Amino acid sequence: MARLLEYRGKALFRRKGIPVPDGRAVQSAEEALSVADELGFPVAVKAQVHAGGRGKAGAILFAEDRDSLTQAVRELLAKRIHGAPVRELLIEKKADIEQELYVAVTADPSMRQPVAIFSAKGGVEVEQTADEEASAVFTMPIDIMRGFYYYDALNLLRRDWQLDSRRMFAVANLYTNLYRVYREYDCKLAEINPLALTADGPVAVDARVDIDDDALARQTTLDLEVAEEAGERAATALEVAAGTIDENDHRGSIHFVQIDPDGSYAQAEGKVPIGFDCVGAGTSLTTMDELVPLGYYPINFCDSSGNPVGSKLYRITKVIMSQPQIEGYVFVSCVSSQQLDNTARGIIKAFKELYPSTGGQPNIPCVLVFRGAWDDVAIDLFKQHGISAGRWVRVLGRDTAEIEAAEVFDALYKEWKSETGGF
Amino acid sequence: MSTLEFEIRSGGTIRIELDKCRSCETKACVKICNTTGMGQILELKDGVPALKPTLEEVKRGACTEDLACELDCELYGNKALVVSLPLPELDEYLEGLSEKPTYAREA
Repeated sequence: MARLLEYRGKALFRRKGIPVPDGRAVQSAEEALSVADELGFPVAVKAQVHAGGRGKAGAILFAEDRDSLTQAVRELLAKRIHGAPVRELLIEKKADIEQELYVAVTADPSMRQPVAIFSAKGGVEVEQTADEEASAVFTMPIDIMRGFYYYDALNLLRRDWQLDSRRMFAVANLYTNLYRVYREYDCKLAEINPLALTADGPVAVDARVDIDDDALARQTTLDLEVAEEAGERAATALEVAAGTIDENDHRGSIHFVQIDPDGSYAQAEGKVPIGFDCVGAGTSLTTMDELVPLGYYPINFCDSSGNPVGSKLYRITKVIMSQPQIEGYVFVSCVSSQQLDNTARGIIKAFKELYPSTGGQPNIPCVLVFRGAWDDVAIDLFKQHGISAGRWVRVLGRDTAEIEAAEVFDALYKEWKSETGGF
Repeated sequence: MSTLEFEIRSGGTIRIELDKCRSCETKACVKICNTTGMGQILELKDGVPALKPTLEEVKRGACTEDLACELDCELYGNKALVVSLPLPELDEYLEGLSEKPTYAREA
């Protein structure tokens, strides 16, 4: 899923006629001052990160004058919000809010159709409202063939009698425009929280726009990077690199996510960070389950399955091995029809390129388990290329269970650590 | 020097130095391509590898990119064939790294 930063989401809103506060993205105090001089004080200073809950995380500040703006900019640019560094800020004219609403259109997989969600109790506590006061949140399924019209929006808004009827018309109009954003940009979610009711009408004070990954190829105007969904944080550079592997070639797929991008979690838990690749997500999880109790933490998830071409395995192996923290590598295939000799060739080419002085024999413990179609050929290829003979390599076959793969890796790692001292 | 160079589906190229191929006794690339490669795109013409499909067909996916041609040429042939598979985003990442990956370090 590709999530747009707030200011980019607001640019889409503006294109579809949804009012947003005047403002601009900046990267320094000087730029911020220049924008504020144009807008006039007071201004909102908002960290542009993909994480939600920014209000509660202290990622939104307000400035009444140049001094407080400079201080706010410096404070936010030095911050990490839910682990993500702040590189950009949105400087906006502060809205004079009379009431905060919540409006959204999202995909509901259980109903297999979009659903409009509305609450007159928008703002930072909206999740709590949804949990504790479900009657304050209203939904309306949308027939995607029919669309979502002004009177549909009115019907939804009228379900909360607290909303001033004079304001309802402007909000209903805005709501249909929000649906246009949702449809035209292939969103999974188009959300405004809060939608501020001001003396001048409704204004989208925040914007959350999540684009469906599978639609990115046709959303070329958005200029988005393709990467696996990684929760609240933005994609890492390695995830973006891995995301390009399937870009031009749909023969098999690569799903790569850095679970612990800087290895800090593994370190805090006293575990050894390792690189990891599996054929099949189920095998991936069961192998992780065996590795973690033994003291190893795969700092990435990777599923390279669907019978990918060898070139994909070559590229993803290089990506996995480029994580500087790893002190080992485990590859396990599930028993499937994937042509494992092609898989093996990709890994062999990568190893030979990464370890040219040893002919592809790695300097960290590596366990590779080939189970499935052409597994015997895969194992033989590692022998032919002399990689199996490496001191720190074990290439295993179809009689290897996940727990045995983990145990073999454990023994090999301990040997490697004791003999070389590690890194 | 005569070469055969063509683009492949995933965004890369295969380059064969045909002068080296003339003295190759095994023609390992052609043999493995027709044994393992489901695309079977290579054939022998005038004693050197040539493409069966057109360049456009190869680029559209006729080559299955199993890399067998390169690896077998390296082991059994004259090291005349190179498959180049760029990943510029990874190169950019590596340039910005403050700590070297373990493959570039001594254990």
